[in-house]
Amino acid sequence: MIVETGEKYGGFDAGEVIIGHVSNTSVHHPIIELPTLFGINFSVTKHVLMLWIAASLLFVLVTWATRKYLKQDRPIPTGFMNALEAVVQFIRDSIVLPNVGRKFVNTWTPLILTFFFFILTANVLGLIPIFDLIGVLDRFVLHTDHDSFLNHMLHGGTTATANFNVTAALATITFLSIIAAGTKAHGFIKHWKNLVPSGLAWPVYILLIPIELMGMLVKPFALTMRLAANMTGGHIAILSILSFVFIFSELFDSAAAGVGVGLAVSVPLAVGISALEIIVVLVQAYVFTLLTAVFIGMSVNVHH
Amino acid sequence: MEVLHYFGAAIGLGLIVIGAGMGIGRFTAAAAESIARQPAAADKITAAVNLPLFLLEGVAILAEVFVLLIVLMK
Repeated sequence: MIVETGEKYGGFDAGEVIIGHVSNTSVHHPIIELPTLFGINFSVTKHVLMLWIAASLLFVLVTWATRKYLKQDRPIPTGFMNALEAVVQFIRDSIVLPNVGRKFVNTWTPLILTFFFFILTANVLGLIPIFDLIGVLDRFVLHTDHDSFLNHMLHGGTTATANFNVTAALATITFLSIIAAGTKAHGFIKHWKNLVPSGLAWPVYILLIPIELMGMLVKPFALTMRLAANMTGGHIAILSILSFVFIFSELFDSAAAGVGVGLAVSVPLAVGISALEIIVVLVQAYVFTLLTAVFIGMSVNVHH
Repeated sequence: MEVLHYFGAAIGLGLIVIGAGMGIGRFTAAAAESIARQPAAADKITAAVNLPLFLLEGVAILAEVFVLLIVLMK
């Protein structure tokens, strides 16, 4: 993609390339064109493609592992199911149980597990350069024309959770489940009363009610921003470090300078950041699930 | 005058890094110290430190997004 943009515009614009790689494809040039239904454009852009790949991969893997486990005679899990079970147990016992409490742990564990596995899968898929490999294959072996399906697909291969819309949708589910959890535990009216502590002098409420209402909306907003910005940030860092190769080769007007900078600075740094990204991917999935559990727990176990 | 917003964004980014670094550094230092004093409570201390650490990180990331917006929407 970097080569392509360089050829097209003449001269290398690092910002253009990076933003083009990180942001979604334009709705006017989607990967798969679908008709507009009820005023919503259903066309598959690259983030939607990654979203579907993540969802179907997760569904197939988990269903396959669970079915296989249920069919076998002995209750001891083997292979992939073993890892799956360890993660499930970790999330139930050290994320959901301490925050939500014993009474509602089985109600909210499925939702939080789904969050964790989906976010983890989407994050990890963004780290694997599948589509860039297809791009290399296309450019040097297959030579398809510019408008082919394969050439459109090349723009895939980014993290679906790096799109603010995706994380906003996830955070909306959290927002609704916070309200649902409070309603289930205390009843609808009591949940809204629980937002502010009772028995204070009335002037305090004038200050407190707007703050609590704002806090209610800020929680999902912060969740949205945290996940999306973390995922985007890593890609921007890696790409801008790799851009040094092209910037330097253009600056000194020789390919040798670019290759030298690449070997000495860019590639080692990019490898380091990629290693850091593996940790970030795990931590962000963990953070999203932990914060969801904490927020649900806050509306279930009211302290004041 | 044309590149002034880049200047502001760069300074803002530096301030964010200073703030977030100081915050995370203090958190980790306090956590390490208290674990050293009471190794038995290591799990509880880690759990207590985790959540504010992520909230801090969220604030820093938010600020970085706004800096990016300054650069992109000049």
